[in-house]
Amino acid sequence: MSARITTDMVIGSTLADINAAQATMTRSQEELSSGKSILEPSDNPYGAAQAITLQSSINGLSAYEHGAQDGVSWMNTSSSALTSIDSQVQRVRELVLQGASGMNSATDLENIAEEVEQLTEGVKQSADTQYAGQYVFSGTLTSTAPYKAGAEDAYQGNGGAVSRALGPGSSVNVSVNLASVLGNGGGDGKLLSTLRTIAKNMREGPAAVETLRTTDLAALDTNLNSLTGLQAEAGAVTDQLQLALSRISSLQETATVQLSNVQDANIAQVSIEYSNQHAAFEAALRAGASIVQESLLEFLH
Amino acid sequence: MSIPTLQGLQTALSGLLANQEAIDTTGQNITNANTEGYSRQTAVLQANEPLRIAALSPVTGEGAQLGTGVSVQTITRIRNTYLDGEYRSQNTALGAANTQLEELQQAQGAFDEPSSAGLSSQLSAFWSSWSELADSPSSEAAKVGVVSVATQLTDTLHQLSSQLQSIEGQATAQYASLAGPSGTVAGDAEQIAQLNQQIKQSLLAHQQPNNLEDRRDLLIDKLSSLASVTVTTEADGTDTIAFGNAAAPLVEGGKVNWPQALTPAAGGQLGALLSLSSPEGALAQYQDGLNEFAATLAKSVNALHTATPFFKGATAATLEVAVTPAEVQTSSEAASGGNKVALAIAALRGGAADQRYAALVEQVGSGVQNAQASQATSQAVVNTLSDARQSVSGVSLDEEMTNLITFQRGYEASARALNAMNEMLETLINHTGV
Repeated sequence: MSARITTDMVIGSTLADINAAQATMTRSQEELSSGKSILEPSDNPYGAAQAITLQSSINGLSAYEHGAQDGVSWMNTSSSALTSIDSQVQRVRELVLQGASGMNSATDLENIAEEVEQLTEGVKQSADTQYAGQYVFSGTLTSTAPYKAGAEDAYQGNGGAVSRALGPGSSVNVSVNLASVLGNGGGDGKLLSTLRTIAKNMREGPAAVETLRTTDLAALDTNLNSLTGLQAEAGAVTDQLQLALSRISSLQETATVQLSNVQDANIAQVSIEYSNQHAAFEAALRAGASIVQESLLEFLH
Repeated sequence: MSIPTLQGLQTALSGLLANQEAIDTTGQNITNANTEGYSRQTAVLQANEPLRIAALSPVTGEGAQLGTGVSVQTITRIRNTYLDGEYRSQNTALGAANTQLEELQQAQGAFDEPSSAGLSSQLSAFWSSWSELADSPSSEAAKVGVVSVATQLTDTLHQLSSQLQSIEGQATAQYASLAGPSGTVAGDAEQIAQLNQQIKQSLLAHQQPNNLEDRRDLLIDKLSSLASVTVTTEADGTDTIAFGNAAAPLVEGGKVNWPQALTPAAGGQLGALLSLSSPEGALAQYQDGLNEFAATLAKSVNALHTATPFFKGATAATLEVAVTPAEVQTSSEAASGGNKVALAIAALRGGAADQRYAALVEQVGSGVQNAQASQATSQAVVNTLSDARQSVSGVSLDEEMTNLITFQRGYEASARALNAMNEMLETLINHTGV
């Protein structure tokens, strides 16, 4: 004998089927409206943990991107200061050549000496360049100007390095060691001391022309060389930062795609599933409406 | 030997009475078609003792037995006690799975992952704040930012920890209310004990107490979702009920032994509640995971923030930011522009603390997923068994309508037989020998 089917069983199973159809439909609706396939960790525990890690690494990449962009701006500020120092020193070189030509009077040389002193002051001002309120050439003493205005030529900063992170475990030093070229004055043979010597020799008049033409010019050229080297180094750091930026942006793209693969709903697929589920739900309702009423009672009179 | 003249009338009458009783039983079934726990009843008909007629046949001289009609022997309920036992043991598993799922889902809700408000976002923002500080180490605003983001992080951690604790507290409270001296268990057990007494008395009076037994079975079904139930039916018709892993039977005849101590092994809703709030339970594990996360975070940050500990406390509930914005350390040197420490702390992103938390989220998610799976399985099994029980005991209106017609026709036919007897007697009494 086949199993007895009772009225309650029919009602119960119809109701359970309708509920189940509605539950799957609701789930698809949630996925469609949120665009996510992981709404709670239980939807995909491993995926949820992965999504959290990926989201954090995307945030980390934006932080690195921000840091690298900031580094580029810092380096641009530094480079333009170096360029300005370079052009001022070039002007001094022209003046030295002019002074060393032996065709100047003591007054002329005095005037040239004054211009050299102004240019020296200009070099120090350029060294005091700030980026976002921080002195870029002071090492890590970013709130102290590296050089004081006036006769005092000693470096006020320190040898510390300011870094920008480019990624986990990788950072770049954005402090350009300008003090190694400018020096501390007081006859240390660095740029500032050379400039001071040049002005001093100019003031000594035609007698010092020979010194200007040989020793001073040679010293200036040496200093200029170091300056150019520093500019090249700064350029290399900027390049490194730019490279890091493009690497970060491609990493960002990859991580975003990965995150989307893990947690985003496949809208096309869910939409099709949803219409299937909707059709099934309607069928369940229709069937319920007609089957549950069906009974022997309707055929008895 | 001849047949008593009026015997036929009695026989037809017995048919009328028996069919009437069967129709009443059918009516009882139809009206109770939607009564919870009702088992369909059937009137058991039996042919009456026959009339022994000696030497009916003058030819062979052999005797015969003449039927004297029908009577209702008893009205029984149709029930399969094996299915009852199966149903109850699965119902216990379902009760446990439902409770487990409900509580774990609450815990999962407290974590609120993945979202922009969850702890993972706060942690990510915390690392980002150190990156920002590394870009402008002398900025007061960046230091204030670090401290305020860190405070949000610890606040979220405190909240999460206390939410987990309150879920655990709710589980304990729910257990107390269900299993307490005036709780559901005590109430149901008291009713079962009373029904036991009534059933015993009915049986002594030789009455089949179908409806009382239905009510008692329904109560036992309900108890079975709270903890495992083992029913032993005694000779006097009373049920002795062993409940969970309580030492003494919950109900013994008319006696109730409650409250008693249970352990997580009791199964059902009560067992699940005990297991969830136990020191080895899922909620305690989540709390441990959060504490480990808090300790790892504090340890790794403090190891780099050497001037003064950045965090104090090493559990989720006690972790606090220990520094003012002015004390936030960006570098190991005194210089305002140094950012080595800030860079190093920012580089902790994705490290041990992040991994511990992600693993915890995975653990919470898996817990709910497993609970969902076992709930779905138990539900399916219970549905099947419930259908099987319904198939045996449930009322089918179609069947009852058919029975109604059968017994109605039987009644009509008996009445017709009575009529035939009457006509026969009419002939005998009024038209014979006058």
